[in-house]
Amino acid sequence: MASFEPILTRHIHREDSHTLSGYKNVGGYKALEKMFKTMAPDEVIEEVNASNLRGRGGAGFPTGVKWGFIPKDSHKPTYLICNADESEPGTFKDRLLLNKTPHMMLEGMIISSYAIDCHLAFIYIRGEFYQEHKILEKAVEEAYATNLLGNDILGSGFDLEVVIHRGAGAYICGEEMGLIESLEGKRGWPRIKPPFPAIEGYLRCPTIVSNVETLACLPHILNRGADWFKSIGSEKGSGPKLYCISGRVNNPGVYEEPLGILLTDLIFKRGGGLIDGRELKAVFPGGSSSAILRADEIDGLRMDFDSLSAAKTMLGSAGIIVMDETVDMVSVCLNIARFYAHESCGQCTPCREGTTWLVKILNRIYQGNGSLNDIDMIFEITDNIGGLIDFSKGSFGKTICPFGEAVAWPIRSFVEKFKDEFIAYVAKGVEVS
Amino acid sequence: MPLIKIDDKEIEVEKGITVLQAAIDERIEIPYYCYHPALSIVGSCRMCLVEIEGMPKLQVSCNTTIGELPPERKKDGKYDMIVRTQTEIVKRERENVLEFLLLNHPLDCPVCDQAGECYLQDYSYKYGRAHSRFLEEKRVRKNEYLGSNVIINHNRCIMCTRCVRFTREISGTNELFVQARGDVSKISIFEDKSLDNMLAGNVIDICPVGALLSTDYIHKNRFWNLEAKKSICTDCSVGCNILVYSQNNRIYRLNARENHNVNGYFICDIGRYGFHRYEDAEKVTSPLIRSDGGFKPISWEGALKEIYEQFSMSMSGEKQQIVGIASPFHTNESLFMFGRLMNNIFKDKSIIGKLPFIEDYEIHFDSGFRISKDRSPNRKGLLDFCPNLEDEILQKVKAGEVRLCYALDDGVDRKLDEEWESFFKSQRFLVVQTYAMTPLAKLAHLILLGPSPMEREGTMTNDQGRIQWLNPSVSLTNKTRPDWEIIMEFMNTVGKRELKYTSVNEVNLEMGERFPDYRGRTFFKIGYQGLPKKNITTSRPSEGRQAIQ
Repeated sequence: MASFEPILTRHIHREDSHTLSGYKNVGGYKALEKMFKTMAPDEVIEEVNASNLRGRGGAGFPTGVKWGFIPKDSHKPTYLICNADESEPGTFKDRLLLNKTPHMMLEGMIISSYAIDCHLAFIYIRGEFYQEHKILEKAVEEAYATNLLGNDILGSGFDLEVVIHRGAGAYICGEEMGLIESLEGKRGWPRIKPPFPAIEGYLRCPTIVSNVETLACLPHILNRGADWFKSIGSEKGSGPKLYCISGRVNNPGVYEEPLGILLTDLIFKRGGGLIDGRELKAVFPGGSSSAILRADEIDGLRMDFDSLSAAKTMLGSAGIIVMDETVDMVSVCLNIARFYAHESCGQCTPCREGTTWLVKILNRIYQGNGSLNDIDMIFEITDNIGGLIDFSKGSFGKTICPFGEAVAWPIRSFVEKFKDEFIAYVAKGVEVS
Repeated sequence: MPLIKIDDKEIEVEKGITVLQAAIDERIEIPYYCYHPALSIVGSCRMCLVEIEGMPKLQVSCNTTIGELPPERKKDGKYDMIVRTQTEIVKRERENVLEFLLLNHPLDCPVCDQAGECYLQDYSYKYGRAHSRFLEEKRVRKNEYLGSNVIINHNRCIMCTRCVRFTREISGTNELFVQARGDVSKISIFEDKSLDNMLAGNVIDICPVGALLSTDYIHKNRFWNLEAKKSICTDCSVGCNILVYSQNNRIYRLNARENHNVNGYFICDIGRYGFHRYEDAEKVTSPLIRSDGGFKPISWEGALKEIYEQFSMSMSGEKQQIVGIASPFHTNESLFMFGRLMNNIFKDKSIIGKLPFIEDYEIHFDSGFRISKDRSPNRKGLLDFCPNLEDEILQKVKAGEVRLCYALDDGVDRKLDEEWESFFKSQRFLVVQTYAMTPLAKLAHLILLGPSPMEREGTMTNDQGRIQWLNPSVSLTNKTRPDWEIIMEFMNTVGKRELKYTSVNEVNLEMGERFPDYRGRTFFKIGYQGLPKKNITTSRPSEGRQAIQ
């Protein structure tokens, strides 16, 4: 494993990394000054496009392309929303950034706003992030005090207001349309697309929703250039990436590595291997919404968007959850199903009814009352919720938002890949009765 | 205009409409629940999924708009979109969605008011599977009152949120919302605000299943027993289009009927529950004549003889002896006959008046729906057919002068103040044509039995000048005779005419001959959607339609 100099998390161990002075001492807000002096908004978009930066929230959509969708001739205002509603199980990277370097994200927000001509930006922060909210508030206050926000930023003539909005603790509000609805003061029910938020988002105006980590990458791209950024990682995905490792590893935590690093390296080198030298059994590569991978599937698997989708899973939020040989997969599956049944917004029929049905069936199997038939039924129900009919065509998704896939995918993969354990539970039940 | 193909049908459609709208217009069935043409699109029921060529996954047809493709990208060389609604994958998808919808559904169709007109029932029968794979206990909740007239049965609810959107977008009152999340979410009201707005009853109409129920109709009848008549509401001058459901001459409920030139898709609760007024009223069952301080039944022949004796005498007397009181509650045909009687037979001996119009507060909803302050259905018609209407009739007619009065009664809504009461009491002979023992009828010397509003047939002109068909929803009871016929007999008896109209159609035709505004406005031509009066060149669509678009 080649040594990699962290970019986003390089200075987080400093005591004052979260303050303005701390950030400025390590070169913070230099990119902003450079941008205002030398770059036009179009040039910023070009630069980001050239850097091959892909959104870090889960879908991996190229950021520059997304910016390009904003209608040029619109008379409506444009909005930027920073999605800090990080609630995917096993994911805690944005939290680290918010805690340790909120100014890096703010700088990214100002850059992004400048590029898309936005003058009012929002930070939608997860309700449970109390401490982070306090830190963020302080950071925004500092930025306003030093004219990094407000009118005529650093004498450039560019105005930007930033408003922090706290969510109320719903997983679905991390989905961009759900987030927008919630920000509008409505119930967090994802709005149907099209129109996409870049055309009609917040208050039906063009809106860009970006993840915290994505925004934090922007200052570095402007500072050191798109070519440098592109040189990090593999061809399929470039730039630094924060990986969250949790579960049965010796050193759980957030680690910064280039995109495309080997999953095994992350688990065994950065994560320090499994507790008590146990055997690896399975791993979620990208939060609990990604399909689970068996230990025999991860050899040589690179952590980038395309390699993982080739392996029929996804990078998602890069929340790596490691499970060892002692883990009961049926119980994990039930746990995950419960989480999704609880968080389903209840709008679309398949997701509302299907998630709870899955929990009931899994619960029955777990209690020893299942039958072999139930296992086939789980396949069918997950297909009916998430529509995983044909991976090659990418023809999945039967609900308004990707939540349906997020439920169907992991649960199906559990039953598919650990069928023996499910059958064992069924058999156990038969024995008892 | 884009050319699309749905299944085997080639259709030219307007650019920008959705696949579902195109299919509905062409009467190609795509099942749906959450879509309603008057409401915003949420696309959450997932029932209207269709296959569209070139799209990787199934698309909700309610939110897929049809655009125009550049010539080189046309499908099959000429189509802008190829939609398939009957493929295996689409059918399977419908089956799956229905399975999910029925998981917790109680399947209590035998006791459900919606049975027979239920989309869940129809689509399950057509697209669903015959058995359930759900082994667990169903989710059961108690019924709740949402408002004084609306009950919700949560177990039947499919969370299409049409009702929620209705209270937000049409009534603008925001009483309903979705409480809780996911599987346990339910339609609910806020603690301090029940669903009691003037349009509340519409949520029952738009509910595609039997979840929202009317307290007024619950468990009273089954849908297939009821006969639906297309008519119009007579409770204000807007003239909303309605469906009247009845069995054995008893009305059970009223529903809104679509008419984009009048009411859009909805009606107000005044009209919806208004028909009970006629049931509750003290009915008149035969022509009556005053006798010994009370009334006694009299035959029609006897009544006409009485009229002859009283009225023909006065034909030769002084000027203005006869007072005709016309009513904006009557049909154009009756008012036309009444005008003829007064102006052509009694001529200058008569004076036509009216009681003060019944007015109440006017309500405008932001969505465009309105309830007129004029709570009589046919003020326009009254003014058209009785142009010489005397406004200040109380002042004009000197008190105490010997007079005869023939009054068309406004009906159960009419209250008489003292001034009018003494006016009627001062009449030497008062003939009242009515269907109930109203305050006016109680003063009469002779009561002629006409039909109630639900029995009347004719045309009415609403406040926008639109002529609409008032279609009788129940048939005439034994001794009742149509209003126009009574007036015709009056004319024949007193005026020695030999009019022999046998149906309201003939009166309508004659009316068209004499009033150019109404020429050609026959029942056949106005149909169930109505037509504007002749001199109004373009129909003025009500604002309701604009809101819908």
